[in-house]
Amino acid sequence: MELLEFCYLHNFQSISLSDIPVERQRRWFRDSFDHLLTIAHSQHSSDAGVMQSSGVQIFKEVPAIKKPFWSEIVIGFRFMTDRELKRFPDHKFGQAFTTIKCECSSYLPWLEKRFKKARGQVQQRRVNDLLELSKSYDIIVNCSGLGSIKLVGDTEVYPVRGQVLKVEAPWLQHFIRDSDGCTYIYPGIKSVTLGGTRQECDGNLQVDKEDTKGILERCCRLESSVCKAKVLSQWVGLRPSRRNVRVEREVVQLHGQPVPVVHNYGHGGWGVTLAWGTALDALGLVRQYLDEI
Amino acid sequence: MRVAVIGAGVIGLSTAQSIYEQYHSIVTPLIIEVYADCFTPLTTSDGAAGFWQPYLYDKGNIQETKWNKETFDYLLSFLSSPESVKMGVFLQSGYNLCTEPCPDPSFKDIVLGFRQLTERELQLFPGYNFGWFNTALMVEGKTYLPWLTDWLQTRGVKFYHRKIGSFKELAETGADVIVNCSGIRSRELQADPELKPGRGQIVKVDAPWLKHWICTHNFTAGTYNSPYIIPGSRLVTVGGVFQLGNWNEQSNSADHKRIWENACQLEPSLKHARIVEDWSGLRPVRSKVRLERETIQSSPTPIEVIHNYGHGGFGLTIHRGCAQEAARLFGQIVEQKGKGPKARL
Repeated sequence: MELLEFCYLHNFQSISLSDIPVERQRRWFRDSFDHLLTIAHSQHSSDAGVMQSSGVQIFKEVPAIKKPFWSEIVIGFRFMTDRELKRFPDHKFGQAFTTIKCECSSYLPWLEKRFKKARGQVQQRRVNDLLELSKSYDIIVNCSGLGSIKLVGDTEVYPVRGQVLKVEAPWLQHFIRDSDGCTYIYPGIKSVTLGGTRQECDGNLQVDKEDTKGILERCCRLESSVCKAKVLSQWVGLRPSRRNVRVEREVVQLHGQPVPVVHNYGHGGWGVTLAWGTALDALGLVRQYLDEI
Repeated sequence: MRVAVIGAGVIGLSTAQSIYEQYHSIVTPLIIEVYADCFTPLTTSDGAAGFWQPYLYDKGNIQETKWNKETFDYLLSFLSSPESVKMGVFLQSGYNLCTEPCPDPSFKDIVLGFRQLTERELQLFPGYNFGWFNTALMVEGKTYLPWLTDWLQTRGVKFYHRKIGSFKELAETGADVIVNCSGIRSRELQADPELKPGRGQIVKVDAPWLKHWICTHNFTAGTYNSPYIIPGSRLVTVGGVFQLGNWNEQSNSADHKRIWENACQLEPSLKHARIVEDWSGLRPVRSKVRLERETIQSSPTPIEVIHNYGHGGFGLTIHRGCAQEAARLFGQIVEQKGKGPKARL
């Protein structure tokens, strides 16, 4: 499974963590946001690829919930003014706020460096089943995303295909996201990401020309200055989707031996948005095991 | 009619544009010429960050606030077209920070989404406990001036690389109206004790992870004498310095050090930014913009001059409003000389 290099901004709108208590969800979002905000405002911002980003989420129809629960977690949340909405004649309502962009192509190497500095070890290898690891490790933390389908037989996990373009448009400073989650413009450090698609149960990793065309047309309609922007690259990723993010303990019986496992996967399109918060929860579960040993 | 515009900064070029737009079909022929010894990318307008923001308070100069608004609305109207990229115009949001509570600025209803800063935002800026957030425009001189030049040349406006010694010199060559957009150097054409240089120095750095402008305000130190960080489309402009009466256009290391240290304190991630260059310029400071007609007595005929200079640190911010007003003054001269539409009936 290819490493998901691309990381989305916080896509809060259509999150379905419905079985997870609201307080726990809120804590995940808040912990993740605060962690990234601290980095964004530190000297590590550029190395870690974590930056503040302001912009708007726009709606073609006024939504039932105008002020979602995460409005208190992002910074400066407010409704768009009529003047601001004039730029988007197809849209009737919008939210403006400041959030974080976390570019995993920099963030992951940065985290890995810190992990290794703290004497963590990284091995590049395919794990075919947990039994392989249970021989050498007391606790297994399973963050295998889509890999969990095979690794732990989780049939609730399914891919949601996303295609994006990276274009050169350095004058763009704000993100623009259509609430349907399928059209977005996210200015980054070295390029602007244009997206996207949400194709459920589609595992095709090849760039699709029709999708490219669709993305460009939709983004261009929102922001005409990207119409002629130079396309730098295109990319496809598979969101590891699940009805609920799975962060829980499980004692797995492997050849008669009980193996403590902590699961942390199924984040769909909210990996960046929830990573730190769910990691802290997973850490708590690991600690529980350690206390019990 | 022959119009000679002195100065090819944002004021000169945009004034030529407004006069053309409003009068080229009314006055025929309308010959417009731009005279300057300094063109893009070497003008004061080119060195500026290109950030649309007036001084916090207009001190009763409501005319200037009106011109600022006109400029903002004008530039904003281009955003829905791809032309905006060629003009160097784009939106950017950011922070105005103060060390104490202060009244809302004159531009609060002009910019987009103006609001007070939340507690959480203020925590990001230790030392500042009050401020505002809004979305404003950027108009980068190094792109805007070439766009204006191209616009004018396409419509037959001629450019002359020449230092003008006096208004009389141009009048003698047959110019009917002289438009003085010579900025800080207007003193070379006519004494004006109110016009003084407001020296600025900036550092341009490569820090593409920054997407918000941050402007601090220190009421004791004065406008622009407090750190500001303004990301552009390619580089980030870091300042600020405002030295009234200092004519030195060379960058100096003491100012650089102070600017840099203050900015890094404000935005720690700048530590890792690559410094590209320093630049210094002289803001044409005046108690208020000189935008008026003057008929200079001379023989054989009086010289009609329209002055449009003294825009301090807000030239880009106010240019369109002033250009339109200058064109209106031009219209008065056209009427007077009987060259208007009525004359042709």
